[in-house]
Parts: sequence; C-alpha cells; structure tokens
Amino acid sequence: MTPATAALFFAILSLAALAGTIALLVLLGLTRGMDAEAPATGLEQVRSDLSRAALAVAWIVATVTSLGSLYFSEVAHYIPCALCWYQRICMYPLALLLGIATFRRDRSIRIYVIAQAGVGAVIAAYHAFVQAFPPESGTSFCTTEAPCTVRYVWELGFVSLPFMALTGFLFIITLMVVAGRPTSELADPVPTDELAASPRPLVPGASR
Amino acid sequence: MSNRPNTRRSSAARVAAAQKSGGGSKTTWWIAGGVGIVIVIALVAAIAITSKNDSSSGTGAGAAGTIVPTPAISVGEVTVTGAPVAQAADGSADPALGRPVPQVSGQQFDGTKLTIPAAGTPKVVMFVAHWCPHCQKEVPELSKHWAQVGLPSGVDLYAVATSTSESKPNFPPGKWLRDENWPVKTIADDTKGSAANAYGVTGFPYFVAVDAQGNVVLRMSGEITLDQFQQLVDAAKSGGTGAATGTTAVGASATPK
Repeated sequence: MTPATAALFFAILSLAALAGTIALLVLLGLTRGMDAEAPATGLEQVRSDLSRAALAVAWIVATVTSLGSLYFSEVAHYIPCALCWYQRICMYPLALLLGIATFRRDRSIRIYVIAQAGVGAVIAAYHAFVQAFPPESGTSFCTTEAPCTVRYVWELGFVSLPFMALTGFLFIITLMVVAGRPTSELADPVPTDELAASPRPLVPGASR
Repeated sequence: MSNRPNTRRSSAARVAAAQKSGGGSKTTWWIAGGVGIVIVIALVAAIAITSKNDSSSGTGAGAAGTIVPTPAISVGEVTVTGAPVAQAADGSADPALGRPVPQVSGQQFDGTKLTIPAAGTPKVVMFVAHWCPHCQKEVPELSKHWAQVGLPSGVDLYAVATSTSESKPNFPPGKWLRDENWPVKTIADDTKGSAANAYGVTGFPYFVAVDAQGNVVLRMSGEITLDQFQQLVDAAKSGGTGAATGTTAVGASATPK
C-alpha cells in the first residue's frame, strides 16, 4: 500500500468515525432516560445492543488508529511533531487497555478512557486547527525538524492527520458514553476478594 | 467483616447474567463485524481511487497524499519590502554577498499568506520553476532526503514557485510539488516574478542562504547535490560562506552539476 492509498483509506475511516459519532449522539438524545435493563422501544433496544458492543468497537477504533499512526511514521517516514506525540501518548494505551476491558467486559474503564481520550481530542483539535489555518509565525510546538504545520496528509480538502486523530478520539468518547453506566449483570468485574475466597466457576455449564 | 456496599452477587446470579448476556454477545459480534466491513470497504475504495488517479495522471505514489496545500492558485500576489538583491554575473564575485535581502510576502497555493522575513532565523530560500528539468530532478531528491532524515535544524526553509506559465510543461506547480511530497512552505510567485527578482534569481533552481541578520551569505544556481545543500544550511547558520566553493556558487561559476 502506498502512502497515498493509506492516506485516503484512513481519511475514509475518519469520516466514517465522524458519521458514527454523530449517529450515536442522535441515538443518545432520542433514548435519553431509558431504563438500561428494560429497553421499551426499538431505538432503546438498538442502544442497549450498542452499549454491549461499545467496548469492542472502541477497541477496534483505538487499534486501527494506532496502527495507522505507526504506518505513517515507520513506513511512510512522516516525521511526528511534538503535538503528534502528545496525541500518540493518549491513543496508544487505549488500544491495549480497551482490548483487556473488552475481554473482561469491564465497562468501568469508560471513565478513564473518556478522560484520556478527552485530553487527546483537545490536542488533536488544536493541531487540526493549526494545520487547517497555519499561523505565519508557526506555533511554539513547531520545530524545523518536525514542523507541526506541515500537512503530510490533506485529503478531500480538509482531512489531515490530526483531524483523523480527532475523529478517532471523539468516536471513542461517544462509544464510552453509549456504554452507559455498568448496570448489566456482567458489567463490573468480579471483586478480587471474592475470587480469592471462592474458586467456584462463573461460566455456565462448567462443572462444580 | 467489611464496610463495602453489597455489590457482590451470588454465583447463581452471575451464571444467570452470563446466560442472559448470550444474545448481547451475539449482537456485539454482529456490530464488530459491521465495523470490519466498513474498514474493508474503505480499503477497497482507497485502493480503487488511488490506482485510478495513478493511471490517469501518471504521477505515481503521492498523487493523493498531500504535503503542500491543495493547489487553488498557481500565481499569487507578492509584495516586496526593501531593495532587491543584485543579480550575479559569471566570472565575478557574487555582488549580493553580505547584502540584505528584502522581505517577501505572498500566497501559498491554497491562497493563505506566507511571509519570508528579511531577518530573524537563518534561512535557505529556494526558487523552482515547474517546467525546468533540473527542478524536476532536484525537488524529489530533496523531498526524499528530508522524508528520511528530517528537515535541517537551525534554519528555516522557504521556496518560491516562480516563472509559472500555463503553456509550459508540468503545469500547475502546486500539483507538481504536492505530488512530490514537497515539505517546504512555498510562495506562488506573481506573473512578473517579483519574488524571484527580489533575490536576483538568474536561473533554476536557485538557492539563497541568508544569515540571522538578513544578509546573503551564499547563493547557488542549478541542480545541486545534498552536500552542496548542506553547505547552504551551514553557511546560513554560521553567517559565512564556509566551505562553499562549489562549482554551483554563483558568481565564480554558474555551471550546474
């Protein structure tokens, strides 16, 4: 895959993430106040289903975003600037932690993810703005070795690398909101003291 | 004994919950599968579109990836503040050495403003023409080099796309530089070549090293090597010509490599 193809590929995914974010926000608005345990309407059922899948989808988003970031720096040899690194610091751990949370069905991770992705989103928004409207004097984050105003990617007239990061962060944040408070039976992890005290299996069908 | 709220559930309740979540788990996989389909569709679309661009434009890799602003204009409005630098004549010392450069304000290819200041950070200003074969060799060579090792430190790089003509090959310059992943901020010179005249440009490509005080310390004309470009960078930073006795230094000889 050439850098040109990769740039367009991730730009399309970025727009898909943006569309997903908007759709989820609309869904959240329409199903505000629903009982998470007893969805009454079709939309509430959709939200209920999405809330179960939110962790997995967020994990996919974080992983794909991280891999894309690594592709552009390690394969395409685009030089990450200081702002790029701050965004990476916020995104890379999510790929790991959301993976663990997905398999543990640990929705309590959402508040941590929202905080970290929130910081990343703010940095990405600033960086995207700087690339879209580069100040003549540069910014204090810019160096000549890694200028943060250089548009390594500029697809469709507005999609830059920080714009992609911004849409990724926003999608993850929205997914965490959709994940809802951990009301389902398997939402919170097994307390460690109970695990220590009770070796009884939790999987249905397992022998006692 | 514990003061913790009673959040623990019996194992029977957990088993029941696990059974209850069975449908949800299936839905989760359906949704994750949908995300996977979106990714595959995006990949197929990107490959199809870029391969179509490649075959139609012949520009190869980098046709869609962009590094300089998307071309909207090919010539811009240029304002020169200060006296222009003298042109060099073959066989004599460069009359511009030690002389101050003017400030040049213009537009990038997307119409945004860009100013090449007279003094401040040491800088190297490059002048290229889209139709010039030497420029067409020099630009990708420098782009590739910078992509591998990064832009030089301690100096600002500027470029001017000048002598632009719709009737000449490789027009427009903005698309050409974008396709070459040119990472340098570039002014689109006006139809009179005001920016090029301000620096006394006599050929293409043309390179001017300017020190922190805003004085010309070295000029080179024609296709240059990476080592010669490093001489320009060193000269701009040190404020002297240094080892710049290359055959492309203007004045003594204007013979391209």
